[in-house]
Amino acid sequence: MSLGKLTERLLHLVPVLLGVSVIVFLMMALTPGDPVDIMIGDQSVTPEEEQAMREDLGLDLPVHRQFLVFLGNAVQGDFGTSFYHRRPVFDVIVERLPATIELSLVALVIALMTAIPLGVLAAIRRNSILDKMATVGSLLGVSLPGFWFGILLLMLFAVHLQLLPVSGRIGFDSEIEPITHFLLIDTLLRGRPDAFWDALKHILLPAITLGLPMTAILMRVTRTSMLEVMRQDYIVFAEAKGLRRGRILFRHALKNALIPTVSVAAIETGSLLGGNMIVETVFGWPGLGRLVVESVFLRNYPLVQAAVLFYAVTYVLLNFIADLLYTTLNPRVKL
Amino acid sequence: MVKLKRILFASATALALSLTAAQAAELRVGFTLDAHTLDPANHRNRETETIIRNMYDGLLTRDGEMKVVPEIAEAFVMVSPTVYDFRIREGITFHDGSPLTAEDVRFTLERLTAEGAMGEGQTSPRKSLLGPLQSVEVRDGNTVRITLSEPWPILPAMLPFQEVVSKAFVEKVGTQGLATQVNGTGPFKLVAWRKGDAIIMERFDDYYGGAASIEPVGKACVDRAIFKIIPESASRVAALLSGDVDIINELPPFSVEQVKNNPGTDVMTVNGTRSFFIAMNMEGELFGDAKVRRAAAHAIDKDLIIDRILGGNAARIEGILSPDAFAASTDLPRYEYDPDKARALLAEAGYPDGIDVTMDTVGAYKDIAEAVASLLTKAGIRTRVAVGEGAQMTQKWRTKGGPKSGDMYFTSWGNGSLDPFDIFTPTHRTNDRGNSAGYANPELDRLLDEAAVELDTEKRAALYRKAEQMVNADLPYVYLWVPQDIYGVSKRLKGWRPSADSRINLHDACVD
Repeated sequence: MSLGKLTERLLHLVPVLLGVSVIVFLMMALTPGDPVDIMIGDQSVTPEEEQAMREDLGLDLPVHRQFLVFLGNAVQGDFGTSFYHRRPVFDVIVERLPATIELSLVALVIALMTAIPLGVLAAIRRNSILDKMATVGSLLGVSLPGFWFGILLLMLFAVHLQLLPVSGRIGFDSEIEPITHFLLIDTLLRGRPDAFWDALKHILLPAITLGLPMTAILMRVTRTSMLEVMRQDYIVFAEAKGLRRGRILFRHALKNALIPTVSVAAIETGSLLGGNMIVETVFGWPGLGRLVVESVFLRNYPLVQAAVLFYAVTYVLLNFIADLLYTTLNPRVKL
Repeated sequence: MVKLKRILFASATALALSLTAAQAAELRVGFTLDAHTLDPANHRNRETETIIRNMYDGLLTRDGEMKVVPEIAEAFVMVSPTVYDFRIREGITFHDGSPLTAEDVRFTLERLTAEGAMGEGQTSPRKSLLGPLQSVEVRDGNTVRITLSEPWPILPAMLPFQEVVSKAFVEKVGTQGLATQVNGTGPFKLVAWRKGDAIIMERFDDYYGGAASIEPVGKACVDRAIFKIIPESASRVAALLSGDVDIINELPPFSVEQVKNNPGTDVMTVNGTRSFFIAMNMEGELFGDAKVRRAAAHAIDKDLIIDRILGGNAARIEGILSPDAFAASTDLPRYEYDPDKARALLAEAGYPDGIDVTMDTVGAYKDIAEAVASLLTKAGIRTRVAVGEGAQMTQKWRTKGGPKSGDMYFTSWGNGSLDPFDIFTPTHRTNDRGNSAGYANPELDRLLDEAAVELDTEKRAALYRKAEQMVNADLPYVYLWVPQDIYGVSKRLKGWRPSADSRINLHDACVD
């Protein structure tokens, strides 16, 4: 892709972001529920005090003025102050981001490492018991609610077998000074294999729960695409040449069969971010997803706005990466 | 090789460290929500206060019987209806070793109440919790005088909600810094705040001991105390069952048996402070009629629901106040379960074939609301439950005088101070914040206003009792019950009791 094309694609982000911010702002403003009312809760307060709190949060302005203030500050990189944390929302979000990214990446790795071998096996042993089991398994994987599956895993591995912890990112005896804020990396950089093992045990159940639907989808994609590739002339030719089966599968077939898998994986990574909201709640994972859900219920407008903008940027970038990967892997397609 | 050695050495050190940590007594609480901030003056949130209160002490606090007692104050007197003097205890130090003075107390109260005192023009969101506080001054070195703009008898009941900060520390780190750093006088010091995950605290060895009248006086029992944030209740229960935590709050009633049957865990309850009731829209045609409201009250078998759904963990009420609240009446007329009477009342009101209504509620109350609805339906008030999101329901029902739509609203109101002022006025005074029934009774308003400023305790109690008789007769709400707060605890926990104000005070807690 040329530099010009790249710039063009990045420029597409601008209208997307503008659109997203308008929509999010309007949706929050139009959703019934008043942040000040929620904040005061079950307490007595005089109307004057209530008004003072409203002014303090900038909610006394008409909606269009509030939006302009938000937009004006946002383009300067200021997303406002969280109503509840009373700190800049940017800081609050950045604190929670590494946990979410780490969880999503581990879920992605688990999904890829399970889905690809299973998909290939199901394709080359088509209609076998294994293929059928994989088909049923993937159906279950897509349809099981993450909430339910997560609690099931918890009860089995944490309560009954006591093999893995129930919640959190790392144990309380594994305090480490952060470097990258990704615990699996930081524990190794600090030379703490015990803490690494601890962090790994913590991330396993949430990552499996989060990655399950993606595993199911990727397995189906890999299987279908592998079957298709195996029917191509060049594979038939390779077989006719008498090449060994392993060589045909891995050198010729898999390389091409993985093209759709990789691009679907890149797009689906965006949906991992959505799934995070549920998984983080079940496993007490201190990430952004949980924070956003809490903030929606509390009508913490600035935080929700900034977080949704972040999600939008990530989603657009992931789609862009998916396109890039597709063209790199498949030279027949040009952007 | 050198690298390998280094790794081995680091692992050995880590192992040694973790062994030391394992030997120290550590107590973990599986808790629903993380603190929003660690600044005692910059939030309006009960969970935040529960966490902060273990690191900060207040001028006053509450004992096990919910009586207000001095904590940082040694004693206090009401000089006149609008002037209170607090003598500050000597020998109290902050976590950084600096001594606490009357000036710190004055600074704290000023920061809570003065306009713009939080810096950058911001006023504390807790200001209204100190009502008509007008000024604070230091007298004779260690006495703090609070002057009110009008009599406000509940000042002592509201002071336990405020924690004392160090003036020098706040001036050093600013409001921004105080959001994440702690320098209090409480039994625990902050070690680390892993946001969204845990608050790790360790014992403050120079602690002055806490309120002199609450045993045991002295340092905290455990070396480390941790609030581990687990928002999902099933996961909180799992954490308790697996031994990961020693206390969990908000144990759902349906998990009580599971926790009791598990060998290492048990259940503890305490009378709660949240009253449950059904608002009936008095502005509407149906519930504008007192007969229909009475029919609803007779249609609900409260004892059955308390017994079967709440596992017996609730106290029945016939007025708005919890049986533990100040001035709660014990002799209010009871609306007994009597579906025939309910039907007869409906017929008298002109609805011999019954009525069709919708009862709004939020997701958390759905199951109980549906049980109530089925009882109402059996008595001729055919009820459909509509579940909405909290903030949306609040806007629909708590209209502060604006027009109301809807028939019934199954809801609740908390009363952490256990003073009627905090629950009676907002839910019953004409057009007040929580008056979801649209009840308007000038005579009641007068009683409530009078009681709010009455200093004579006996007279004040009499006013509230009269008010409760009045609302029991008018019945803007069907008053239901006050559920107990249910905690799951591990059996290795000793010395800890749940508190009726929902605070989790870890000072007395020990673990085997």
